[in-house]
Amino acid sequence: MGYEELFPGMDAKWHANATKRFASPFVDVPTDRIDVDPIILSHAAVACGFTIRDFYEKPELGIHCVGYISHLYDLLAVTHWFYSLPWCRELGLTLQYKDTLPPISTGPIISEPGQVDNIHVPDVDELMKGHTLPEFIRMYEYVAKNLPMTLVPISYGFDIVGAAAELCGVENFIMWTFTEPDAAKKLVKKYTDTSINGADGLARKFGMAMLIVGSVLANNDIFSDETTKEYSADMMRYYVDQSFRRGAGPQIFYHLCGNHETDYKVFKDTLIWSPFTVFHVGYKGKEVFPSSLLKQEFGNMATIMGSVDTKIMINPNPKVVYEQSKMQLLGGRDSPKGYILGNSCECPPYTIPGNLLAMVKAARDFGTFGTW
Amino acid sequence: MDIKIPDNVKEVIGKRGIKEADIEAVVKEAESSNKKLVKNGRNLAKKKIGDVLVYVDYDIDKGVLSKHAKVNSAYTHRIVLQHIVNADGPSGWTCAHCNEAAAFGHVQMEYMTVKRNGPAVVCAKCGDSWAEEYLATKTLAAVEGLFEKKRA
Ligand SMILES: [Zn+2]
Repeated sequence: MGYEELFPGMDAKWHANATKRFASPFVDVPTDRIDVDPIILSHAAVACGFTIRDFYEKPELGIHCVGYISHLYDLLAVTHWFYSLPWCRELGLTLQYKDTLPPISTGPIISEPGQVDNIHVPDVDELMKGHTLPEFIRMYEYVAKNLPMTLVPISYGFDIVGAAAELCGVENFIMWTFTEPDAAKKLVKKYTDTSINGADGLARKFGMAMLIVGSVLANNDIFSDETTKEYSADMMRYYVDQSFRRGAGPQIFYHLCGNHETDYKVFKDTLIWSPFTVFHVGYKGKEVFPSSLLKQEFGNMATIMGSVDTKIMINPNPKVVYEQSKMQLLGGRDSPKGYILGNSCECPPYTIPGNLLAMVKAARDFGTFGTW
Repeated sequence: MDIKIPDNVKEVIGKRGIKEADIEAVVKEAESSNKKLVKNGRNLAKKKIGDVLVYVDYDIDKGVLSKHAKVNSAYTHRIVLQHIVNADGPSGWTCAHCNEAAAFGHVQMEYMTVKRNGPAVVCAKCGDSWAEEYLATKTLAAVEGLFEKKRA
């Protein structure tokens, strides 16, 4: 039995409207309301009775859960599935699946800066024989067959600095940024070059590949603005530029999770902006990044995505979620190149459905075009 | 000036729906106005012909009695490049008209009445902008396709 037999089919009428809503911020065509993208990952599996481990271990099941539950929650018309360590297996790490977590690295890590030179960047052909690319291709082929109207092939550069840091251990990496910056930078570049080859491979297979790349480990909790620029923003630019040259894009999702108190300023004149770019920031200090500030700083560059704090998604208090959603919607809904309401990061696996639906209710109440 | 188009380039431009007369028009205008990008002897010129912007990438061979243009490639896009949004990195190109380094940056782009930003090579002095071949034939071609689909 295939996973597709576990789910009722998608309602074509719902999907047609959700597709228009999804296109709306990019093409200036107002639809019923602002879109909500809570960045659902393993919550989709949990909501359908599966486990977090099932979500990551069985990508076809995981992405079908995302498509199914997005429909029921009235969210995006497109599907996605990912984890934070793509391309790491090809660079020497072993990943272990966990019952309650996304896959984690069990090493082996490199411990000497000199070992960075020995890391081989796999080319597209080598990636085709690796783990990450065949897994994504298999999954998108499943979507093309079973949920074709939701298909967007996405290549993940993901958290370039965070994933590169896993190759030597995060503590070592942070230390190297002070003591061995050349080795630390070279490591990030090797991870990025591998991700670019991955985007190339996916674009060759599907004729396109949306790019998702972020700055998660590189944030103001550990880095200065200058360090975030050097290690993260500059390499995000390099990733997108090189991926475009290889035929990936033009859609980009920039995901800045974590505390970007002041370093958000380094991204505007560093990143590459395409007509189909979404820019998202999680936190400013300990608070959610205000959508009003996001609009002011980035609203003229791209479509922006505001944040509802993931921490409140697991508290039994839908009113708090509703009020924060309202505040963010009022701050960002008239952004000149469109607004999407999101969570500050992945919505937690055990997100309370009443909270998630509070975001959707707020979007209906305060995100209806023509009422502001 | 004579314009030479090698057979392999003829094949490419044929597939892209570009006429040899278009190429001649682009090169002639660029050579008389000096409005073009240059890099190590390479030239990149553009001209609006009908609904599309036609670009020609060419070298100039100077003989004893005359010079001729050898075409390396030609391509088009329909999206309209408007004002410069920012200029944030080196492009390697020089704006021949201004004799100034052109930057890698962003311009406002308009297609089907929608205005969004996109990358381009820009000259901050004269305000002109250009899309390199990879950008026009891959990224902007996909952008045009998405706009057509999403506006439908
Ligand atoms: Zn100029």
